[in-house]
Amino acid sequence: MNQSLVWVSIIQLFFKTLLNLFQPSAWRRSEIMQSIIQSGIKSIPIVVLSTAFAGVVVTQQIAWHMDLALHDVSMIPGFTGQFIFRELGIAIPALLLVSKVGASITAEIGTMKVTEQIDALKLLRIDPVEYLVFPRFIAGIVSSACLTLLAVAVTLCCSGLVGVLGYNFGILEFLNGMKHFIGVADLACALVKGVAFGSLIPIISCAYGFRCEGGAQGVGTATTQAVVSATVAIIILDFLITYLFTWFL
Amino acid sequence: MMAFFQELGATSLFFVRVVRTLFSTQGNFQPILAQIAFVSYRSLSTVLFAGVFVGAILVLQIDLILAKYDAEIFLGGLNTSTVIREVGPLIISFLLAGKIGAFTAAELGTMRVTEQIDAIECLGTNPIHYLVVPRLFGIILSSLILLFLGLLISVGGAMAVAWFACGINTLEFASSIPKFVSVSTFFAALFKALIYGAIVATVSCHRGFTASGGARGVGQAVTQAAIYTNLYILFANFGITHLLDLAEKLTQSALGVSP
Amino acid sequence: MSIRFEQVSKSFGSKRVLDGVSFEVERGEILFILGRSGMGKSVTLKQMIGLLKPDSGHIYVDHQDVTQLDENQLARVRQKCGMVFQHPALLDSLTVYENIAFGLKTVQFIRSAGGALPEEEIKRRVIEKLALVHLGPEILDRLPSELSYGMQKRVSLARTLAPNPSYLLFDEPTTGLDPITTNAVNDLIHDLSRKLQVTSLVVSHDMACALKIADRILVLDHGKILAHTSNELLKLSQEPLIQDFLSETLALLPPEERFDSLAGVRQ
Repeated sequence: MNQSLVWVSIIQLFFKTLLNLFQPSAWRRSEIMQSIIQSGIKSIPIVVLSTAFAGVVVTQQIAWHMDLALHDVSMIPGFTGQFIFRELGIAIPALLLVSKVGASITAEIGTMKVTEQIDALKLLRIDPVEYLVFPRFIAGIVSSACLTLLAVAVTLCCSGLVGVLGYNFGILEFLNGMKHFIGVADLACALVKGVAFGSLIPIISCAYGFRCEGGAQGVGTATTQAVVSATVAIIILDFLITYLFTWFL
Repeated sequence: MMAFFQELGATSLFFVRVVRTLFSTQGNFQPILAQIAFVSYRSLSTVLFAGVFVGAILVLQIDLILAKYDAEIFLGGLNTSTVIREVGPLIISFLLAGKIGAFTAAELGTMRVTEQIDAIECLGTNPIHYLVVPRLFGIILSSLILLFLGLLISVGGAMAVAWFACGINTLEFASSIPKFVSVSTFFAALFKALIYGAIVATVSCHRGFTASGGARGVGQAVTQAAIYTNLYILFANFGITHLLDLAEKLTQSALGVSP
Repeated sequence: MSIRFEQVSKSFGSKRVLDGVSFEVERGEILFILGRSGMGKSVTLKQMIGLLKPDSGHIYVDHQDVTQLDENQLARVRQKCGMVFQHPALLDSLTVYENIAFGLKTVQFIRSAGGALPEEEIKRRVIEKLALVHLGPEILDRLPSELSYGMQKRVSLARTLAPNPSYLLFDEPTTGLDPITTNAVNDLIHDLSRKLQVTSLVVSHDMACALKIADRILVLDHGKILAHTSNELLKLSQEPLIQDFLSETLALLPPEERFDSLAGVRQ
């Protein structure tokens, strides 16, 4: 598959999906709810579990590094808080969503493509973008934004737990330490990233699903490519957004 | 929760089965080498690309924090240390899971649902020996190669961004590295990559090998492989970090060096 | 030299696909296993060579109980059995030649043949088997993806024949093939069992083929054996399912043959 052509089709699909925003018929509530349950609610356990572990590890790592660099661990709350808000709490759920939600969207739509269900939709005069992509797109944005906030909260809690149990901080002391470093801009940055990743994942996954060809093998290949492309796209977008925000902070 | 442990158990048993197959049949390392070349070649561009950007993101974030303390002289060391200790092995195994893990699950899954694996077995060849052994060990070994290259390029990318975005030149960047990083740090990273590689390889081979039910089944195998790989890697990360911590403390106390 | 199933049962989840099935196949016989889709026909074949294990019961191949064998002994049994799958199941990454020669280069085959075959001998055999399925040597270097579905299925059959098995198991051998190739495959099954004394088990839902070449027919429904008799006797069966199968088949025949068949029933 020609890589640049894929990106053209992804961008095309993105704008086609955006057009549906202004189309009342596209806002079918039950489909969107269904998608939110599939992509959001069912991802809660894995996101909570993984970010909890990541929170513990990162806090310990940061503490170790600060001890070595500044011979001072009093800044742990601020550092970890900031790092979690800006990167960790956002990147981990996004990468998990790629492999959980993105992969299953590609597999699902790819299967529909190779079993000619998409063609059947077209014959019934149903626009596959409106019918299949739009609900997943909206659901992706909503779930990703909520999961990002959830992940940030869980990671902060675990990090606080490590601080309190491992480095003798009081709970209030830890929270106060964090407060100095985190502002509204950080929250905005987290949400912007969450929404951006949440819209990116379903679009890329659907585009690869639609391009699927050739039976079981085709579905497998498309899923692989979708996961890789989405991961790389997220890393690059993350860099760009971070870079933009450095001007504001 | 029960399902999760059953899954973990089945995957571990599969790994044991593959290792046993490797040792019970006479060695032919040609296919493993071919697989290493294939995996490394396929993932190289993605790993290098992502490596640069990950290094860049970290530099920006760490610089934001350090700038508040006027401690930017530590930027190089902190960045390199984070990349080698945590972020590098994690990101590279995530990418490997997406690129090669998913590919392998799809490939083996397709062979399973189109009865190719049954055919191999009927023709008197052990499909684990013929298909799984080279893929599993190929992935594990190439994860080491990819980690090495990924770390190099990531630190390189960080240096470049530090220079043009944070105003820290390469010498300043490099001078603080030895304070945080030693040869043992590097070996710890390789150890991590080895374990993560084993997770990626085992989960995806297992999922593909036991797929069932046509195109939908292959899709499911790929999806499940990706989720479980990431989950196991994050768990392993937690375990290994603590294990390495312990090992470091033990060696230090054995050598009589105070930390 | 025979195959014997004794009280074999197998369930998938709550679905019971085989329920205490017993039957025997004689040497050189062609046995058709008929039944509707999902009624445990393929499962029967896969159990015979240990790809699936029955929940209970025994399966004897040449007086060896395959349900009790370890991997090595199973490999020896599989050496004697060739299986033709529902899908062509050719290995995607290997050429037609490599696919057909695959079974001639395995450790198991080399051990039983008392040494590796020279490359010319392998090539000779590959071409010979390919000719059996009416294909020429010009496709030897092609990949399976470059062949039509019918050709893939025939190559798959050639691959199964290459190690000269004494049992042949066919899983829907003619599904998805054009009528001419279907006839060729049926003739091939017939010839192999008559000339080489190869025992064939054919899973199918094609009653017309069965009536034409089978020695005996076994009808499975809901995990039980509905009938296990010769073709002639089957036509006399009063079972509704068998009647349905027969009438469907008869409807496809030209009028004069239909009349003959009916006459056969009345006799």
